[in-house]
Amino acid sequence: MSEKLRVTNLVKTFGTNNVLKGINLTVNENEVVVIIGPSGSGKSTLLRALNRLEEPTSGSIVIDNVDIASKGVDIDTVRENIGMVFQHFNLFSNLSVGENIMLAPVELKKETKEQASAQAKKLLKTVGLEEKFDATVQSLSGGQQQRVAIARALAMNPDIMLFDEPTSALDPEMVGDVLAVMKDLAKKGMTMIVVTHEMGFAKEVADRVVFVDDGQILEQGTPDQMFEHPKNERLQDFLNKILNV
Amino acid sequence: MKQKIFKSLGWVALLVGLLFCLVQSTVTAQAKTYQIGTDVTYPPFEFANKQNKYVGIDIDIMNAVAKEEGFKVNIKPVGFNAAVQSVQSGQLDGVIAGMTITPERKAKFDFGTPYYKTGVVMAVGKNSDIKSFKQLKGKRVALKTGTAAADYANSIKKKYGFKTVTFDDSNNMYEDVTTGNSVACFEDQPVMQYGIKQGLKLKIVSSPANTGWYGFAVKKGQNTELRKKFNQGLKKIQANGTYDKIVGKYLGNKTNPKVKGKTFTIGTDVTFPPFEFANKHNKYVGIDMDLIRAIANEQGFKVKIKPVGFNAAVQAVESGQLDGVISGMSITNERKAKFDFSQPYFMSGVVMAVGKNSKITKLSQLKGKRVAIKTGTSAADYANSIKKKYGFHTVTFDDSNNMYQDVTTGNSVACFEDHPVMKYAIKQGTKLKIVTKPAESAPYGFAVKKGHNQALLAAFNTGLKDLKASGTYDKIKAKYLGTDDNGSVAKTAADDAGSRSFFGLIKQNQGALLSGLSETMWLTVVSIFFATIFGVIVGLLGVVPSKFSNGVSSTLIYIFRGMPLLVLALFIYTGIPSLTGTKIPAFIAGVVTLTFNEGAYIAAFVKGGIEAVDPGQMEAARSLGLPFGKSMRRVILPQGIRIMIPSFINQFIITLKDTSILSIIGLLELTQTGKIIIARNLEGFKVWTIVAVMYLIIITLLTWLSNWVQRRTKV
Ligand SMILES: Nc1ncnc2c1ncn2[C@@H]1O[C@H](COP(=O)(O)OP(=O)(O)OP(=O)(O)O)[C@@H](O)[C@H]1O
Ligand SMILES: [Mg+2]
Repeated sequence: MSEKLRVTNLVKTFGTNNVLKGINLTVNENEVVVIIGPSGSGKSTLLRALNRLEEPTSGSIVIDNVDIASKGVDIDTVRENIGMVFQHFNLFSNLSVGENIMLAPVELKKETKEQASAQAKKLLKTVGLEEKFDATVQSLSGGQQQRVAIARALAMNPDIMLFDEPTSALDPEMVGDVLAVMKDLAKKGMTMIVVTHEMGFAKEVADRVVFVDDGQILEQGTPDQMFEHPKNERLQDFLNKILNV
Repeated sequence: MKQKIFKSLGWVALLVGLLFCLVQSTVTAQAKTYQIGTDVTYPPFEFANKQNKYVGIDIDIMNAVAKEEGFKVNIKPVGFNAAVQSVQSGQLDGVIAGMTITPERKAKFDFGTPYYKTGVVMAVGKNSDIKSFKQLKGKRVALKTGTAAADYANSIKKKYGFKTVTFDDSNNMYEDVTTGNSVACFEDQPVMQYGIKQGLKLKIVSSPANTGWYGFAVKKGQNTELRKKFNQGLKKIQANGTYDKIVGKYLGNKTNPKVKGKTFTIGTDVTFPPFEFANKHNKYVGIDMDLIRAIANEQGFKVKIKPVGFNAAVQAVESGQLDGVISGMSITNERKAKFDFSQPYFMSGVVMAVGKNSKITKLSQLKGKRVAIKTGTSAADYANSIKKKYGFHTVTFDDSNNMYQDVTTGNSVACFEDHPVMKYAIKQGTKLKIVTKPAESAPYGFAVKKGHNQALLAAFNTGLKDLKASGTYDKIKAKYLGTDDNGSVAKTAADDAGSRSFFGLIKQNQGALLSGLSETMWLTVVSIFFATIFGVIVGLLGVVPSKFSNGVSSTLIYIFRGMPLLVLALFIYTGIPSLTGTKIPAFIAGVVTLTFNEGAYIAAFVKGGIEAVDPGQMEAARSLGLPFGKSMRRVILPQGIRIMIPSFINQFIITLKDTSILSIIGLLELTQTGKIIIARNLEGFKVWTIVAVMYLIIITLLTWLSNWVQRRTKV
């Protein structure tokens, strides 16, 4: 079990609003980490800081022994290695499904159109949408769009995948398809950090669950420890609220 | 007796010629000396001065040419006929004697390059009432034998029914007119001009007719060498300015060396008839126009007339954009602080005009009423100075027609205008009447920027003096104002009813309207092109992740969107040159103005269009590792542009309409063309309707085009 990512004393403030108050977190290779916590606690901010979509105020983020939060780092190259999936999919609406997936490989890896489209078709097959290669983004359902978004992120062959509530904008009947793709990915050994309210997914897939509240990690452990024997009072409250709804 | 004189002169010439042949043969090693015959007295071309030395244009040119080409001449004033005959008989080598080149003479002589242009004019006694050939009927006219002027007079003698009396020399002919024995004489223009300059009590009343050229002549087939040398030498002295100096010496600086060949840009009003207005061929005419052109012609410089409007012209002269202004401009003390004025060329005064049926006849009746004035005119100054005393209030207009119309429609009860202008307008059909005597009589002057263009100013003054002497000045004035107070004004063709209908107006002004439209289209297309470049750059500066660039972008948008287009246009056209000292052509100034103004709007919607793209699109692109530029190009801009297209098309249409504002700096686009046509024919309603319809047609076509483009991009 080798270490993939280490976050040390990560602080993020928006003006006077102290959103992350010194986060320390280590993620190992092939590990699936699920982050839970109440709304506004800083989960998205933490996730987005990991590929510097949010610029950290202080602290370090070490990936493969490189502090990507330091000045001299070419963040674009770092990001090629970190896939990200958004709550609202964010597929490029001016491009077709296939083009969405091919854009980054063609632009950045200098792959030929043929290589890129062959790979795109393979990825579409793994998310169960091989027939949608030429479809427009607008013609897809939310669940289909999110699966394309996952395929797009995978096209750059990243080592780490970040998911920010990938199912919370979906109709309930679509959630299963997306989660299935993610489970599949976990099984193949992808290092994943997932912000989600899907407790079933967490229990089944997560190696570790991290509870964030008010910009701090208050407790972390295996799904069993966290859900069956929560120690922190705030975590207990949080679990009561969401499980009893 | 004439024959005798002629014969004896011939013998003298022969003898002298022989003598010189002898002398010449003894000095063959020396440069060759040519024997050149000339007239006894034909000022200013040849005459004996006080020291009894022969001088004059011909003499000086001949000597200068000889000097230039390295040969010697012996000029002999044997008389015109004798000289001509002696050359024919081979006793003299050549003749230079104000000899007009005619086909008959060409049969017997070889002429050198023509060296002086002339024409025949009619001159009458200083106080004579005669101004046209028709008035010569049954009268006696003096001529000089053997001259082109005499030939001309004889050719029209029958038609106009006058009798002639011939003299052998000019002075006798002149005297016959000054004493009243004859009523007129015909003479070559330069000769007459020179005579008047020397104090002859005559005046020129016709424009040059039968214009022809003076040439140096040798016997046909002989002395080719001499003729060639003359041509070469003439070319040289014309090139090096000697020629102009010689002519200037005798004819009062016709072609002034200081301004010769230069082009001056002269500003004038768009419409200030009878001083300046476009005729139906869209050429600027009027007293000012004819005068400045005549002076330019006389002084040998060129003028480019810029009818930019009075205020714009005055400002452009101040800023150095234009060299001078002639625009019915009264010489006032305030203006003298900023301009140098020429000698007054016209005396004007301010009158009040009211509607045809108005009962107002006195200033005191204006109490509490509204009075129309035109900005920046001395009539306006006068009105303002008496405004308090008579208790009226004023409304100002930028051009005369609007001012008149305000009175004819009854919005204002009266207007103040310069006397000649009002008189002319009423004669042209403006439904107003003059009710006061001219007040504040004011001289009009040509103006240059104080301390600048002094050579031009001097040339204007000299030219004006010359034109007054030659009668041209009076003719110009009479052409537009008639000769007396009730005198008829040259009827303009615009008066016939056929050309006043819509169809007639369109047909008559087709050329002007289409060229105005094409100027509008050009301005629009060129401006939108540069505005798009400017706008896209500034718009992108507004969205790149750099605080500084964002600041620059917002500032540019703020400044150029916040400034009225009119102010921006005037600032760029008249303001920038005052700061930098370099002129900007109006078209460029117009394009720059629109580039900034429309560009600022484009920048705003480019920025807005990009910002309207979901920020998640940029985040997704960046999260894949795409740099900012690539993300912009491949993801954001394609979406943003789709959002911007309707605004682009809209801006194109707005730009087209905004070009009309540029009429303020004198650009001859569609609106300005309309103004000018109306200035001439006063058909405001009809012409504006035509212009408006033209704009609408173009804009409709553009809208169709835009709908089509939008449909295609929506797919
Ligand atoms: N760009 C920003 N500027 C200012 N404040 C921000 C910004 N982004 C997030 N915040 C604030 O930071 C805090 C944490 O937000 P964040 O989106 O990380 O919460 P979250 O845990 O993901 O909540 P949710 O479960 O609702 O998604 C919130 O109070 C939010 O208002
Ligand atoms: Mg969130």
